[in-house]
Amino acid sequence: MSIKFEKVNYTYSLNTPFKYVALKEIDLDITPNKITAIIGATGSGKSTLVQHLNALLIPTGGTVTVFERMISSLEKPKKLKDLRKKVGLVFQFPEYQLFEETVEKDICFGPKNFNMEDAEKRALDCLKLVSLDPNIKQKSPLDLSGGQKRRVAIAGILAMDPDVLVLDEPTAGLDPKGAKDMMNLFQSINQTMKKTIIIVTHDMEHVLNYCDEVVVMDKGRVRGKYLVSDFFKDTSFLKELNILPPSVIRFKEELNACGFSIDEKVEDIQSLANAIVKVVL
Amino acid sequence: MDSLILGKYLPYNTIVHRLDPRAKILMMLMIMVAIFIPAGFLGYLLIAIFAFTGLMLSKIKIKSIIKAFKPMWFMMMFLFVINVLEIKTGKVLVEFKWLTIYDDALFQTLYIMVRLLLMITVTTILTATTKPLDLTLAIEDLLTPFKVIKVPAHEIAMMISIALRFIPTLIEETQRIMKAQASRGVDLEEGKLKEKIIAILSLIVPLFVTAIQRAGDLANAMEAKGYIPGAKRSRYKQLKMKAMDYSLLGVCAFMIVVLIVVGQVL
Repeated sequence: MSIKFEKVNYTYSLNTPFKYVALKEIDLDITPNKITAIIGATGSGKSTLVQHLNALLIPTGGTVTVFERMISSLEKPKKLKDLRKKVGLVFQFPEYQLFEETVEKDICFGPKNFNMEDAEKRALDCLKLVSLDPNIKQKSPLDLSGGQKRRVAIAGILAMDPDVLVLDEPTAGLDPKGAKDMMNLFQSINQTMKKTIIIVTHDMEHVLNYCDEVVVMDKGRVRGKYLVSDFFKDTSFLKELNILPPSVIRFKEELNACGFSIDEKVEDIQSLANAIVKVVL
Repeated sequence: MDSLILGKYLPYNTIVHRLDPRAKILMMLMIMVAIFIPAGFLGYLLIAIFAFTGLMLSKIKIKSIIKAFKPMWFMMMFLFVINVLEIKTGKVLVEFKWLTIYDDALFQTLYIMVRLLLMITVTTILTATTKPLDLTLAIEDLLTPFKVIKVPAHEIAMMISIALRFIPTLIEETQRIMKAQASRGVDLEEGKLKEKIIAILSLIVPLFVTAIQRAGDLANAMEAKGYIPGAKRSRYKQLKMKAMDYSLLGVCAFMIVVLIVVGQVL
């Protein structure tokens, strides 16, 4: 049950004047049953990387191994359906992939493609899981609000019951409350169903609050993989990457700069408050 | 993606790239006319020398032209069969029971092939060496004289440039949706006919929805920036014909004359 990248290279439009190297010598292991965040500046190769997970992109060099299925540049892969069922990939702005007449049919689309039984029951369960009113299942997906559409699209992937859920910026364009609900949903899916979750994100608050591990990408390379609890300890690395640390971490740093000495692990407002109390009293 | 190379702008800086886009469009039209002047293989040789010099100078790979020509083999065979059955002039090449093949049938098919090859070459040179936006500017300029007979030159150019502008966007969008649906188990290559139809529907519906949305957004953005159709507008990029452009136009005109003369003599 593992995902492994070995010396993966990917070049867009190979052998044309427009060629563009997106991934360089990627070596990476994704820990199963954890929530892994992939961060990095725009154009650092995050989306290209995740599209290798279900063989939408085939590496131009090196190998990707997902559940003992090896994908490399040497052979043209066939019969990718099994892999695509195991790795559910939710694209950025997934609401643009809805096309069926009703919400129910759209959610059933994935499961039916993979010849899964009881697609309708799954659809209903997944609607509830993404906290949508089951009564909307007969509505046209195009009549829903933006946030609802996105939930329907995510439900459509969840209904496939993948072992790994990959999300490319799932909270982009959502309001703060909607984003928080969404992240809570992924956390509960990870905890109750023991699914491996990989999230591409720009939001450090989400990384701190919801993720276990973090992969840092920079100009097509992996700069490193860290435990989230370690990652925010050393903010000089964050500064070098031009990433603004989460607000609680910044608050702690500011306090320390003013002469306090908080060196306890701070991960949310409560632990920050406790740490301050300890120092002040 | 590779099939899209035909007609795609290639970002080099050759002498052909630097020609005035209006001159290039006019030259293309003139060569098109020249291709249809009946002057035998000698005439085609003349045009071919001219066209392939252009091809070499603009650094287009001959491979890409051959690639574009490949799908036409079927049409060629079809044409050949029709010609064999229809054309009953010239020398007899083969006689086989009820079937007689005359050499004119063969020549006719060959002529059509050569014409197509030349036309593909010439249009590829134009689109591969001219930025789409320059092309629309040139079309606008060339249509301006027709304003007298109420041809909306600027509006036509604007529509063409918007259409061209959105080709890459729509291709990107298509690829994105294809990948998204592939992640949901759609298989465009394998599968039964019914599955394939659903697969295509799952691609077309979202594509139309986003395209219409985009069109609406663009119209609003243009209006917000004060775009009024038909209003008098100035232009940032001014096109200027150089000596090279005029002389090449002259060469093309001369070629047409030569072809007409050759055609008369033959």
